[in-house]
Amino acid sequence: MKYLQELWSSRELLWNLASREVRGQYKRTIFGQLWSLANPLVLMVIYTFIFGFIFKSNPPPGNPSGLDIFALWLLCGLLPWTFLANVVNASASSLVANAGLIQKVSFSRAVLPLSQVGSNAYNWAFEMAVLLIAVSVVGGFVLPWLPLLLVGMFLLAVFASGLGLLFAVANVYFRDTQYLLSIALQMWMYLTPIIYPMRLVRTESDKWGGIFGTPVTVAEIYNLNPMVHFVELFRALIYDNRFPSGANWMICIGWAVVTLVVGFAVFRRNERKLAEIL
Amino acid sequence: MSDIAVHVDHVTKSFRMYHERNQSLKSTVMRRKTSVHEDFLALKDVTFDVPSGSTFGLIGSNGSGKSTLLKCLANIYYPNQGSITHNGKLAAMLEVGSGFHAELSGRENVFLNGSILGMSRKEITRKFEEIVDFSGVEQFIDQPVKNYSSGMYVRLGFAIAINVQPDILVVDEVLAVGDQEFQEKCYSKFNDLKHSGKTVILVSHSMDVVDSMCDRVAWLSHGMLQEVGEASTTIASYLDSLHEGQGE
Repeated sequence: MKYLQELWSSRELLWNLASREVRGQYKRTIFGQLWSLANPLVLMVIYTFIFGFIFKSNPPPGNPSGLDIFALWLLCGLLPWTFLANVVNASASSLVANAGLIQKVSFSRAVLPLSQVGSNAYNWAFEMAVLLIAVSVVGGFVLPWLPLLLVGMFLLAVFASGLGLLFAVANVYFRDTQYLLSIALQMWMYLTPIIYPMRLVRTESDKWGGIFGTPVTVAEIYNLNPMVHFVELFRALIYDNRFPSGANWMICIGWAVVTLVVGFAVFRRNERKLAEIL
Repeated sequence: MSDIAVHVDHVTKSFRMYHERNQSLKSTVMRRKTSVHEDFLALKDVTFDVPSGSTFGLIGSNGSGKSTLLKCLANIYYPNQGSITHNGKLAAMLEVGSGFHAELSGRENVFLNGSILGMSRKEITRKFEEIVDFSGVEQFIDQPVKNYSSGMYVRLGFAIAINVQPDILVVDEVLAVGDQEFQEKCYSKFNDLKHSGKTVILVSHSMDVVDSMCDRVAWLSHGMLQEVGEASTTIASYLDSLHEGQGE
């Protein structure tokens, strides 16, 4: 409890650090905040050309929204994913990057990775707003789902914070973490139904049945990936315009809470040693 | 308020000296342990009290453990044994301007740095004029700090830190930079603090400064407390020990 109190008292610092990141990031660029759209847009164009046009991953049309635009369907999964990947990467290096500060000033260290969540959430919110406008323009009825979408975004931010805290500590002990992470994140992305629909995985899994004679199917293992459920949640809300299933919500909440608790527990245990180890 | 501002009680601090520091996963997995190390004692069983409202100096040669002790006081390191208790708000100035963001303006950095040092937005707004005034960078306050001269940088950093207004201020040798005029300004600020009943703990290699500023002095050597007492007598015995060493 005392730890949480201490963290709560440094919320102003957290806010200041996050806005330092946001303001410092695009300083002296001509396009400013628009740069945060550049990366997802380029990815969108590439993936739409390859998986929408050449390979025809053919996601089912939005139900009940009736939308059938690959690029928008893709972005519903891609934007949450890039947010997560950016947060994990930035948090992982946040302690090492601020080594000087940690060795000279006493403050609640958790604000360093958490401020990365804040600044990336700002960019993400901006991207999502653009996506929502695009979906609305082509006839999606997304505005009534906005409150639930914000809850979903909050859950993913909580999940990302937990991972960020864990990897921030891991990177202090093992500098390999940041390189390992970029590889792991690439694999993780392709293991998440972002550029192909979940339906394809299910079809293949049903064809094979239990692997090696066990009753465990490929789809069951696939579903252990928490991002599968987060992407499903965002697609249901933005693309399909329907209420995600109760099970879907519960899984997302579960992953978010457990990851955050574990992240804080590990971080707290190592916090005092940081100044010496860095 | 009690008479003792800081109570350092049998503090021992050791560091691990690594013969083989494994910071990669590969070596950890291969050897199944993170490192081979031996402990180096930076502070050995140090005990002393700092009276409230006094200016307290820490002296000793390089590597004597002064900075380690200061970091323990500032809650950056945590002692392996013993404890440090203090009455009142403690602030440490081990380096000025840490956490400045080069691309942001002086004004933005005052708010950022102030909040790192634990001030609330309200407090900073209230003291903003005073901070800018003291630092003497009014003209450039809206310029990015990367364009500041090193003196301006230090002055702004110091002005922020001194305005945290702690009951106990811990200062490392941060004033070596900055011109004569600014140094004098700082020392008079320390005197103001002292007159308002605050405690200042400072580390310095300049015996003149220590002698003129401090009431009491602790002398550390190789992590052990040699002597603690009146400033002039402690400094004298420290200097004697140095000259003895030279004579041999």
